[in-house]
Amino acid sequence: MRIVSSSSRLFTIFVPVVLLSTFITYGLGALSNSNPAAAVLGDTATPADIKRMDHQFGLDKPFLVQFVHWLGRVLHGDLGHSYFTGIPVTQSIGQRFPVDLSLTLLALVFAVILGGAAGVLAAVRQGSWIDRGITAISAVFTSVPAFVIGVGLVVVFATKLHVAPSSGYVGPTTDPQRWLQHMLLPAIAISLEPAVGVARQLRTALVHELRQNYVTGAVVRGLHPSRVLFGHALRNAAGPALTVLGAQVPFLIGGAVVTETVFSLPGLGQLAVSSAEQRDIPVVQGVLLVTSVIVILANLVVNAGLGKLRPRAGAVTA
Amino acid sequence: MRSGVLRRVLRIRSAQIALVILLGIAVLVVFGSSIAPQDPLHQDVARLLQGPSGAHWLGTDYLGRDVLSRLVAGSRLSVLTAVEAVAAALVVGALPGLASVFFGRWFDFIANRLTDAIMTLPTLVFAIAFTAVLGNRMTPVMLAVGFLISPYFFRVTRAAALQYAQEPYVDAARLFGVSRVRVVGTHVVGKVLPTVLVTAATALAGALLTVSSLTFLGIGVVPPAPTWGGVLSSDLNFLSQLPWAPLAPAALIMLTAGSLNILADALRDTIGTSGPPVVRAGAITDQEVDRVDEHPAA
Repeated sequence: MRIVSSSSRLFTIFVPVVLLSTFITYGLGALSNSNPAAAVLGDTATPADIKRMDHQFGLDKPFLVQFVHWLGRVLHGDLGHSYFTGIPVTQSIGQRFPVDLSLTLLALVFAVILGGAAGVLAAVRQGSWIDRGITAISAVFTSVPAFVIGVGLVVVFATKLHVAPSSGYVGPTTDPQRWLQHMLLPAIAISLEPAVGVARQLRTALVHELRQNYVTGAVVRGLHPSRVLFGHALRNAAGPALTVLGAQVPFLIGGAVVTETVFSLPGLGQLAVSSAEQRDIPVVQGVLLVTSVIVILANLVVNAGLGKLRPRAGAVTA
Repeated sequence: MRSGVLRRVLRIRSAQIALVILLGIAVLVVFGSSIAPQDPLHQDVARLLQGPSGAHWLGTDYLGRDVLSRLVAGSRLSVLTAVEAVAAALVVGALPGLASVFFGRWFDFIANRLTDAIMTLPTLVFAIAFTAVLGNRMTPVMLAVGFLISPYFFRVTRAAALQYAQEPYVDAARLFGVSRVRVVGTHVVGKVLPTVLVTAATALAGALLTVSSLTFLGIGVVPPAPTWGGVLSSDLNFLSQLPWAPLAPAALIMLTAGSLNILADALRDTIGTSGPPVVRAGAITDQEVDRVDEHPAA
């Protein structure tokens, strides 16, 4: 084990992550064989037109120069314009971002509640039918993609029971209650996979903690069992579960992207798919960048949370 | 030794069931459209959105195409592209994972930082973006996905290789002047292999879900080519008429991914790798573990 201060950890892990993801994101555009100028101008384009368009898009400069220019503009909040509609990418993303942000946050809340409850129950009743049941259900949900769960929820709760809308979106600021109605099913659909991760990790960690001497000590001193569980053991066991939750964020966003389609939510996923089909590279790059930044930020938050939870965990890396 | 591990895995009931299911899937993959009962592309406008019948065991879709035939014919693309992704990940991840143990601190440091970076990328969003760049074909996209999941192989291989690289006989071989590459090849690779297999099975299940998600979105395939995810999405607008329609494709995806996960768990329990701390996922019961332990490998 090596002691690394949090600032150098930030530097050795997050700076390369940001650089690499931006580089891949930008490199994707350069890799594409498609000639955006020709695509935009259509059949009637002359070579001179294409050259002028290339210059306008900045495609006539060396790759690294283009990358640095692009990164500079991105840092100023400029993600370029769509090749086809000319709409600024930040505007398109800004319109759709609240959908995915609210969906992902709600799913995270569900994952913590469902996964936390299942993990604690399984650990406390270790070996019982509750434990076996939770373990079996967890195994099933790791093999089901979020969109399949989404389709199942639509069939049961929207088309059969009519208790929730099957599609559409209402902004949380417009009408919070209707927002929740529309978000409930998709959020549950994508929360189950991370919930399973949290439950499994929490069960393992909690079983380990409950065997420790300090727990026996606390019980012997006459502390209430729930206080021993929630005040002592859970606090120590929550760290690994939180790490797992952080690692699940990329999958959560992936799940959100596909599940959007099931529920016809006007989110980033729809934007990514339609712009990928059109080869609208600036829009694709913008979506990639925004989702990657969310994942990186989520990891930073998880790290900060780990530091708060267990002061020594924040300073030590394996 | 390795055949002993396999024999012990085969004694576990859940692993037996998983293997039988996977063999069935393999038959679908190998023979594909040639064993499909009907032409998966044939449209029968007189029989749209029908329920299961003698002529169409799983009914028909919104164009009157036979769902069973579409699922059978779609198996090859759905499964093989997932295999491609895992094969790519294995090469890109496992080899540097082995190398990182033997080629010094700098290689190790850089490789670790790189894998940290790759692991934070949202795979599915990247996969969608890859189709914008590499064209709307599954194979190049899944090779790129393989690159994104390669860190898992890197980490697992590195951890396992680190463990075995510190064995006295490896030191002894080095002292005798055996080259690094030969030490790795003869003493470490074989030991690391079962661990890599566990990761491969888990990764294959994950890749399968990625393929299903992409084909569900209509990405990577050109209609009317059938895929598991595509069959699921084609019925989406007709759920009020055919609420049971998603069941068959969903079951196929779940059975395949689930069997792979169960097999991975059984393998992990049998070889007792330290791997990521995962609950046994109901793969085998304690009783079965005891039974396995009573019969050590012959």
